[in-house]
Amino acid sequence: MDEPISPGDRPAMGRSPGISEPAPPAAPSAPVRAPSLRRWLASPLALAPLILLGLVVAVLAIASEGQYFGLSFWGPVWEFIPTDPAGSTYGIALFALGTAITAGIALILASGLSLAIAIALTTYLPPRTGRILTTLTDLLAGIPSVVYGIWGFVVLAPYFASTVEPNLRNALGWLPGFGGPESAIGGGTGLLLGIFILTLMVIPLTTAVMRESLRSVPRDVVEAGLALGATPWEVVRRVRLRVARRGLWGAVFLGFGRAIGESVALAMVLGNTIQYPPSIYGGSYTIASFIFTQLDSAFFYPELLRALVEFALVILLITIAFNLLGQRAVSGVRTRTVPGAGGRA
Amino acid sequence: MSLPSLPSAPLGDLRGSAARWRRRHLLDRAMRWGLPLALLVVLFPLFDMIYWIAVRALPTFTWATLTTDQVGLGGGLYAMIVGSFTLLALATGFAAAVGIAAGMYTAEYAPPSIARWARVAGNLLAGIPAIVLGYFGYYALVLYTHWGYTTLAGGITLGVFMVPFVYRTADLAFANVPSEQREAALAMGARPGQYLVRVALPIALPAILSGVFLAMAIGLGETAPLLYTAGWSSTPVAGLFQPTSFLTGAIWNFYDYPSTEGSFQALAFQAAFLLLILVIGLNVVVQAVAERYRRRTRGMMA
Amino acid sequence: MTGPEPGPVGPEPILSVRHLSVRAPNRTILDDVSLDFCDREVAAIIGPSGCGKTTLVRSLNRMTEVAPGVRIEGSVRYRGEEIYDPRVNPVLVRQRIGMVFQRPVPFPLSIYENVAFGLRLQGIEEAEVDRTVRRSLEQAGLWKELDGDVERSGLTLSGGQQQRLCIARALAVKPRVLLLDEPAASLDPTATQRIEELIFDLRKEYAVIIVTHNMQQAARIANRTAFLYQGRLIEYSDTHQLFENPREKLTESYVTGRFG
Repeated sequence: MDEPISPGDRPAMGRSPGISEPAPPAAPSAPVRAPSLRRWLASPLALAPLILLGLVVAVLAIASEGQYFGLSFWGPVWEFIPTDPAGSTYGIALFALGTAITAGIALILASGLSLAIAIALTTYLPPRTGRILTTLTDLLAGIPSVVYGIWGFVVLAPYFASTVEPNLRNALGWLPGFGGPESAIGGGTGLLLGIFILTLMVIPLTTAVMRESLRSVPRDVVEAGLALGATPWEVVRRVRLRVARRGLWGAVFLGFGRAIGESVALAMVLGNTIQYPPSIYGGSYTIASFIFTQLDSAFFYPELLRALVEFALVILLITIAFNLLGQRAVSGVRTRTVPGAGGRA
Repeated sequence: MSLPSLPSAPLGDLRGSAARWRRRHLLDRAMRWGLPLALLVVLFPLFDMIYWIAVRALPTFTWATLTTDQVGLGGGLYAMIVGSFTLLALATGFAAAVGIAAGMYTAEYAPPSIARWARVAGNLLAGIPAIVLGYFGYYALVLYTHWGYTTLAGGITLGVFMVPFVYRTADLAFANVPSEQREAALAMGARPGQYLVRVALPIALPAILSGVFLAMAIGLGETAPLLYTAGWSSTPVAGLFQPTSFLTGAIWNFYDYPSTEGSFQALAFQAAFLLLILVIGLNVVVQAVAERYRRRTRGMMA
Repeated sequence: MTGPEPGPVGPEPILSVRHLSVRAPNRTILDDVSLDFCDREVAAIIGPSGCGKTTLVRSLNRMTEVAPGVRIEGSVRYRGEEIYDPRVNPVLVRQRIGMVFQRPVPFPLSIYENVAFGLRLQGIEEAEVDRTVRRSLEQAGLWKELDGDVERSGLTLSGGQQQRLCIARALAVKPRVLLLDEPAASLDPTATQRIEELIFDLRKEYAVIIVTHNMQQAARIANRTAFLYQGRLIEYSDTHQLFENPREKLTESYVTGRFG
């Protein structure tokens, strides 16, 4: 069962598909020789993914018309309804800040938790227990974003406002970003809730990649460590993590690609406020959640639409960059429980 | 692995200090019991979410929820269900056609260099943020074609989103067909096309199907590619070139209505509940199919 | 190199195995094996593949239980102490009974840090680590060969050197017993000879137990040889006797190459 991990891997619930189980991808057997005409016709089909990818980039690049790239694009102000279309500036800065805060912190939390889970699954838990727990954590990946969103907005937000945030403010108020006046805490939606939800959404991917990276460490290397009188933890820290380092970083890159692209759930729980967030309790927007919520109002303002398309292009390019990095890093790692991850990069 | 041991137990002729051994031992124990707690940290919210969605949805969830149209502030999810499945059918058709064909050619025909690029592109395509694809669909299929919001645009956009998931399983499934099968078929004089259709496809099919189901489970839960392509309509889908509503859209449109005011929010929770069941169900199917496939190929390899 | 003299049987064996059985979920890998190993001797374990040789040595320092699902019964005493006593931590057993595997597996660290690995765990002070690393590398014949250049990665060494690095790494922990699981299986003849010479030297200080499928190798280096067949110990005696005058028919047909 050997599938390299790739950015879009969505662990489905379960120890899954054994799409993988079958033998290591058969030793590259000589491709079937097709008649040359058919071969020639075939290459567009083989390249369908590449063509689709190029099409998406091209359409967005054309739609943006490139005219807003430049200083004003990075200006700090977003004019909601441009009063002077020709001279309006559409700044990405505040949204980029929102993306950086939510994706950055969520990724740090998710990486830590995923690493702990991956170590527990590969070193400490008995295989059967591990399989059941893996099925359950992979379940998180199958849950639609909007469902995370409505749960966050309706169930968690009031709880965050009444309990989590006041307590956090009392306990960590001295930390910059965690204090502020009592009025800093609003209805519960905001950065804190957004980070929490995003963390949960990123975890299945980072866990799957980290788990398989650790699992791909050859057994005899691990045993060599044990045979030298190292405790299981010492083997993890000094051998396993070191050997699997590339794959673990790959998980972080792929996780970042996933985190910055999330739009729907964050649009529901982030408080949708264009502002420099005064604290972790304040509302914000990410680039993705902003373009998700604004497209309908842009219908009447072509300039606005172009700016939004450029935002889309920005996150697309960043995502591609991080996924390429991640793919490179995990190219040696093979995952078994991540279905759909067929390609051998 | 073993019962707790005391540092002073037999075999006590230690090098290094006993205190140090004790620290090493305790650290290992701490990790053994501490690290799995991270699983609880992750699983508790999962159960909390499922619990609350069920609690909010079930009291008002009846058969009528599935069979009636949305009326005013209330009614049922009929239009959204029909819309979701129409969109999913279109998208699955698109994704399966492109994904399976591309996977087959990548695994069987493509020269290695092209295959490599195709696989990298497939992985990147799977990583494109859903909302970016939504913008792509909006610009290419809503504005450029002058169709406006249509079911077809939604279906195609969702299909593009699902392609890489089908593609990658198809590629792997064909690549995993044992080479003996290929050699045997070709040795018996089968033409490559015959080999693909009569030998490789039947062997690879269960794996491909599990990829298709997985893509469906993912597609069913997406909102961002549809919102600005399929539009919205409170009546059941009337045609490919008419807009349509869909389940995820019901959640997005109704989630922030006050729960006291009519049943808009209840409708959102019912849609969420239904989605959870469908998505979990599809994933179970994915696993069952994959499991069968695994057994079959294993038998074949043996 | 001449054939080794059979060492005198010590008053007390360093390892004594009694009624050791190892069972996987659907088969018995080792079936009621009893034998003793003496200090400052080389013991070889031979037998056809799948006979349980590897499982036997792995059970001597509690590496068998690393794989899930195996059941171990019976007793293994190290200098009179039961290593399967529930109070005994396997980590402590492995510090005294070292092991080298079939495939050389250097850690992705420098040569120096590879050898220092076990010492660092024990918090040994720097000066002694330095001395021990050097001494272990000298014992393994690597120090001279590398000209003291121990800062390069262990992965840059040749296969035979890597395996000697693994032996040096095991020696650095100062075990009393050294288990070698087909240490030369993946090496060329020259490298194999170096390893054999090394093992020959090691018996001056350690009890060495080596698994091999190469009967000539067993004959060259071992004082005693055990023949295992289908999980059972068929014969265990002085190497000369086992090869030249075996008691059991089964042993005879194996050493004369009639099967295996």
